[in-house]
Amino acid sequence: MRKKSLLKTLFYSLILFSILECTSKEKEHIELWDASLISDIDLPYKNINAIDLNEIPFDNLSDYGFFQGLIRNLDPVEGVLLYEPASSLFTDYAFKSRFIWLPKGNSITIQNDVEGTFDFPDNTILIKNFYYPVDFSQPEGIRRILETRLLVKQRGTWEAYPYIWKDDQSDAQYKVAGAEIKVHWKDYNGDQVMINYLVPNKNQCKSCHNIHEQLVPIGVKAKYLNHTIVHKEESENQLLKWAISGKLSNYSKEKRYPSMVNYQDTSQPLELRARAYLDINCAHCHRAEAPGSTSGLFLTYEEMDPMKLGILKTPVAAGFGAGSFKFDIVPGKSDQSILTYRMGTNLVGAAMPELGRVSVHQEGLELIKKWIDEM
Amino acid sequence: MKKLQILSIIAFLIFISWYTLSCTSSTTEMTYDSSKLRKASAEEVEKIVEAVILANDGDLIDIPEGYYSFKTQLILDNKNNIQIKGQGMDKTVLSFRELKTGGEGVKLVGNDILIQDLSIEDAPGDGIKSQHSDGITFRRINVTWTNGDKSKNGTYAIYPVQCKNVVIDECIASHSKDAGIYVGQSENIIVKNSLAFGNVAGIEIENCDNAEVFGNTARDNAGGILVFNLPGLPKSDGKGTKIYNNNVYSNNHVNFATPLGEDPNGNTVTMIPPGSGIILLAAKDVEIYNNRIHKNKTVGIAIANYHVTGFPMDAPNWSPFSSNVFIHNNDYERTLKLPDLSKEFGQLIFIYNAHGKGKTQDIIYDGFFDKNISTTIQTNPMNICLQEEEINNLHFTLFDLWEGEKNIKATKDYNPFVCKTEVVTQVKHLSLR
Repeated sequence: MRKKSLLKTLFYSLILFSILECTSKEKEHIELWDASLISDIDLPYKNINAIDLNEIPFDNLSDYGFFQGLIRNLDPVEGVLLYEPASSLFTDYAFKSRFIWLPKGNSITIQNDVEGTFDFPDNTILIKNFYYPVDFSQPEGIRRILETRLLVKQRGTWEAYPYIWKDDQSDAQYKVAGAEIKVHWKDYNGDQVMINYLVPNKNQCKSCHNIHEQLVPIGVKAKYLNHTIVHKEESENQLLKWAISGKLSNYSKEKRYPSMVNYQDTSQPLELRARAYLDINCAHCHRAEAPGSTSGLFLTYEEMDPMKLGILKTPVAAGFGAGSFKFDIVPGKSDQSILTYRMGTNLVGAAMPELGRVSVHQEGLELIKKWIDEM
Repeated sequence: MKKLQILSIIAFLIFISWYTLSCTSSTTEMTYDSSKLRKASAEEVEKIVEAVILANDGDLIDIPEGYYSFKTQLILDNKNNIQIKGQGMDKTVLSFRELKTGGEGVKLVGNDILIQDLSIEDAPGDGIKSQHSDGITFRRINVTWTNGDKSKNGTYAIYPVQCKNVVIDECIASHSKDAGIYVGQSENIIVKNSLAFGNVAGIEIENCDNAEVFGNTARDNAGGILVFNLPGLPKSDGKGTKIYNNNVYSNNHVNFATPLGEDPNGNTVTMIPPGSGIILLAAKDVEIYNNRIHKNKTVGIAIANYHVTGFPMDAPNWSPFSSNVFIHNNDYERTLKLPDLSKEFGQLIFIYNAHGKGKTQDIIYDGFFDKNISTTIQTNPMNICLQEEEINNLHFTLFDLWEGEKNIKATKDYNPFVCKTEVVTQVKHLSLR
């Protein structure tokens, strides 16, 4: 066992060494994170049910008591529930884990709209962790957590609180002004990748989490949760699971709730996969109620109007984001569509989405190209 | 003798081509020098970021003299009665050259917001944007880009969109790749005493209601002042704009919205021919008076309908026609420079105008009209009115483009358009802001 970990360390240091070797030519000294920085500081236990909710935001993530044992294991205490949306926003290939906590005795009600939006009780907390496994082929192996974003509903309105993890992974600290973090991993092809990961500042959260200039959650709606997930050997529809655990008050087994497909699920029709991808990656902003409405380009899963979806629609304020193209989508011609151009560039000011990526999501881009080409 | 004639013709042609090329001007003029300013420390920069992010209603955020380099966007989130003040346009400079993500450098959302006395430079997208705000005032804000290569510049310098009660006063906007001062999908607007230069478009009012643009200088842009209505937007159409007492001259800058030699893309601004003073596109209820419109090499005022773009025109609650326009008492001065040949509209004017090839035009009308109203433009169905004192001496062209490129017609006849009309705007309540 010990031998194995020694080998592992040797292996990683070899990789690090080779990276350093390559970059040292630029004379710029780049300090890379490595797993040896992780320390096993065990923090004192916090009872989440006893924290003073009026004191939020706390300085440290550990002050909330969401997780038991070593905080970096993200092992939720009772009442903190793991959830997964059907499709997930691309954030520079970061892995994410999401949890929800409601104060005891409170529950969510599902609204009767097309997306099945939720009405949350005060002091609901959504917890989203962003991390990178050192080796993507071993997602359960050594990982580096970069940030945890909290959305907390306080006195009727949501607030966003970003926490940045320490290099030693012993805790995360509240940081308003954002940050830039060098992060590297071995991708599925075995190639080393390094990027400057950008942690948004507090108010940038609202660039996406915005309906009528009010901060709102994105992924916690019936349409995103109405599917089965496997967790700790249990397999259940999430809405049902939430209802059973008392988190959803008006759920009815007889009722049909909206649902969206997982864009990665190749057994689903291309149209639905592409629309699911655009919905979760773009429609938080590109909808009538959100900041991207200025463009007239609406990309929700439910949108039916071809022009609003961008088909033969001219841009408005795209600037150089339009590239050399005339229309958002030219059916059959993904290489002449502004949509795919903006997804495929890293040029700041042209790249879409505007936030949350410094690299191109190749798999997502391929999906949307295929969809446009087959129109 | 014949040889001499041929030689002289060749010489003339060379002269013409040289002349045409040399007319396409470009500028990188700066109104201040930020390199002389004290560089603010990382802590000072972060302090400003936090002050704006954590602002409470009623806050005054004072930004001391210095050069601030931001790595993150400066965003004010839905607050009321906020003032952000620098120490002067040449004293407090916010640079977004280091910004690696995000659409604009500064974004302000809220009600009754004032930002004044500072400069913003090198934002990768837009310089300063305000959205969904009621009561937003920009006073002595200078937004620019310092790149020598202007193709790297951002889209809009000053960019209020979907706002109410907007005042832009004594601002400077330069070198943006689209419009310097761009007000979009908003209501109740004053743009006054400001300077826009070196942009593709100087000042643009798009899908807006109730706007007054006065006392400004728009010079050395490709197009000086624009009033547009584009289809398919949440605010579907706009009406009511007065443009008066402005100085609109030498807007002969190369149109750098797309790379040189590349065709226009879907952004309408990419089609603007260098040398345009004021352009109306699908504009409703516009009055243009007492302006000095000098030395714009292609056209002083162009009245256009959306048909000329060639783009689809199917949109709800929107009309592609310009209508109810009153142009009077402006001062025109043409230049000896030749009209633009780099854009289709430039070529149209250069070649087909009614006064002879290569003649700068003072006023043109593209001649599209709503055939449900009349069968002929002679009845002035869109109510386009001209009352210019020396209209006899002006170069006026009415085009007929209904039959497309193969049969372009043009006439000098302005008689159908000699009339008066009324345009109503009401922005008095903004003068106290």
